Amino acid sequence: MAFSAVRFVYLGWIEDHYTEPVFHFTYFGFSWVKPISAAGLYLVHLLMLLAAIGVALGRLYRLSAIVLFLTFTYTELIDLTYYLNHYYFVSLICLWLIFIPEPDSKNTLPAWCKWLIMFQLGVVYTFAGLAKINYDWLIEALPLRIWLPAHDDLPIIGKLLTLPETAYVFSWFGMIYDCNIAFFLLYNRTRPFAYFTVIIFHVLTGLLFQIGVFPLVMIGATLIFFSENWHQRFQQIISHIPLLGGLFVVFPSGEREPTQYRMSFILRTFLTIYVIFQVAFPWRYLLYPGNLFWTEEGYRFSWRVMLVEKAGDATFYVKDSKTGREGIVYNREFLNIHQEKQMAYQPDMILQFAHFLGKHYSRNGVSNPEVRAEVYVTKNARPTQLLIDPKVDLMKVQDGWAPKSWILPEKE
Amino acid sequence: MTNRKILFALLAITFGIAACKKDEPDDQNNSFDRAAMLAEYRDVFIKPAFNSALQKAEALELAASTFTTNPSTEQLAPVQNAWIDAAIAWQSACWYNFGPAGEAGIKKSIQEEIATFPVSLTKLNTILTSGTWNINDFNRDARGFYAIEYLLFDATLTSEQISERFQNEVYRNFLNALCLDLKTRILDVKNAWNSYGSEFTSNAGTDAGSSVSMMYNEFVKSYEGLKNFKFGLPLGLRPGQTAVDPTLLEARFSKISFRLARANFNAMVNFYRGVDQNKSFKGYLKTVTGGEALVTATEAQLSILTTQFNNIDENLDMETRILNDPQVLIDIHTELQKNTKNFKSDMSSLLGIAITYASGDGD
Repeated sequence: MAFSAVRFVYLGWIEDHYTEPVFHFTYFGFSWVKPISAAGLYLVHLLMLLAAIGVALGRLYRLSAIVLFLTFTYTELIDLTYYLNHYYFVSLICLWLIFIPEPDSKNTLPAWCKWLIMFQLGVVYTFAGLAKINYDWLIEALPLRIWLPAHDDLPIIGKLLTLPETAYVFSWFGMIYDCNIAFFLLYNRTRPFAYFTVIIFHVLTGLLFQIGVFPLVMIGATLIFFSENWHQRFQQIISHIPLLGGLFVVFPSGEREPTQYRMSFILRTFLTIYVIFQVAFPWRYLLYPGNLFWTEEGYRFSWRVMLVEKAGDATFYVKDSKTGREGIVYNREFLNIHQEKQMAYQPDMILQFAHFLGKHYSRNGVSNPEVRAEVYVTKNARPTQLLIDPKVDLMKVQDGWAPKSWILPEKE
Repeated sequence: MTNRKILFALLAITFGIAACKKDEPDDQNNSFDRAAMLAEYRDVFIKPAFNSALQKAEALELAASTFTTNPSTEQLAPVQNAWIDAAIAWQSACWYNFGPAGEAGIKKSIQEEIATFPVSLTKLNTILTSGTWNINDFNRDARGFYAIEYLLFDATLTSEQISERFQNEVYRNFLNALCLDLKTRILDVKNAWNSYGSEFTSNAGTDAGSSVSMMYNEFVKSYEGLKNFKFGLPLGLRPGQTAVDPTLLEARFSKISFRLARANFNAMVNFYRGVDQNKSFKGYLKTVTGGEALVTATEAQLSILTTQFNNIDENLDMETRILNDPQVLIDIHTELQKNTKNFKSDMSSLLGIAITYASGDGD
């Protein structure tokens, strides 16, 4: 059951993100992860595909799971601008796939496996829902009032999307859905209906937004909430369909009685820490001053999905401290259009790029470069304002967990 | 409570809240006919721009042919003028660099194929010495407008001296080959628009790959090109440059760099505003949340820029100016820079135009 995510995902993730940008943004603490050659990356993707099939079929399971986790996570860590919450989700699930024990002779798994995945899904939805409880989302229906009208060419519902009322309905429904869906899925009597809304919700968002395989992942993954009996019947039906039957092999179909297995101390400790981390980490933004949606400090890895429309224009100035001559960087010389777009409103990426520029130009004849950035950001269709202090020499600033004092407060 | 009741309750709450918000004053009429905007751009801007560029390129080809039949000082001026007309006409077409004008196989976009600058003097001189060339190879800096310009103009020579160069058969043949190639490439795109035209208007979404997204991306790229390549680089404003560098100017042999830059700026502003202002990016912006404020900010900046451009004699020799007193040009670059965010990040954000295929943050 837990594997349903994988079944779906492996069909869709062999995409080639890796054109040849000169510079890659790295994750804090993971700057040692570097892209390998294009051929190597294709090999990594091939391995990932094989591992995914291995996991899905249960062949060489443990090895496949390890390879799957490592290859998937590696490709995500290469470039921060491709960060997506659902990739993080897939990475986490892949991590746990490694530790799920072999099914026993009766084809059952310990109950904690199921509960862990359900917990993880609950965390995803609930935090996504809590994050929607903010002024812009609920009272202004932003950013949906920007996003929906852009899709007015969809058949049937297209015209509806241009109405502000629709944006309000979607905003409120999205918030209520995300906050509650996990609980409705848990409860026997509401489950079928809840799952029906899961499908509607994800199909709709899949149609409206450029979100890749995420809807499929979630529609597949939430199946785990269904009972053992349901899954056994589901697999019976599936196995009668030619072709499809081959893809969906028999999965562990039941839970072991608690008396039949013992969790090791290490596993128990690890699980506890993991659960605490998952529940606590998304709240770290409370430790930072300023508006989270403006500063983005503590934004990632917290299931904040499709919450805000932001765009920025970042102009970097590199000054030769000996001659005093200052030049203006042409970002596209180093970044692709996607990287530039993502970087231009996220302070940690701006800082990384500034450091890259400093090093690049000091190798190219600029002595002891000072790097400043003038960054204008628009949030939810409001007029642009400066995101960071344009006078600060970013070469003198280091990234870290501490609040970034060089971010300017958002003006109302 | 059954699940159904709960759900209905939730829906009722949702609709109730939505209904309460109905009368909010800043809610705008969001319906905008993008297909109509695309049709307007196609019929009033794009097709006429390629038509005009083609006419001028044909005139240039003809003038070159007349001149090379019997190179004389009298016949040089008509070719030079035909080249100037063609180069200026291209400034109104150069950002429609998608669809039939976009990259295809080994062919780069038309802008790169025919309007790359600066040209490589090394490559051109090798061609003129050896007498051999390949008009379809990767040497895009040895063909197109600015290769033709290199043959036809040289401020250090008199007209007699220039036309005398064409006593050399290589000059004559190479000029004709370049002019034919220029015309052919524009003709191909112009013709392709006849069949592409309906695809263009029917692809009326805002996703990556939609007509709006492609046209918008090229517009922004071209605007940045105006700032970076027509001003920034020759002015030495790139980090690592230690001085101004007029050899990087567009059209530095004919000395019409400033005329071209101004024509390009004016054409892009007209494009943004549209003839029918309800069927343009500006008109589109006015219908979306936050759009009015952006239109106001953009117009204010464009008016500063228009004044700056108009305060300078259009025949300004940018090379001399850059070497002696570049401040007025640096000022234009600064103001162009200030408007970048309006055209680039703000407009795409408000209009919800996807600029890449990659999934956005926030899944």
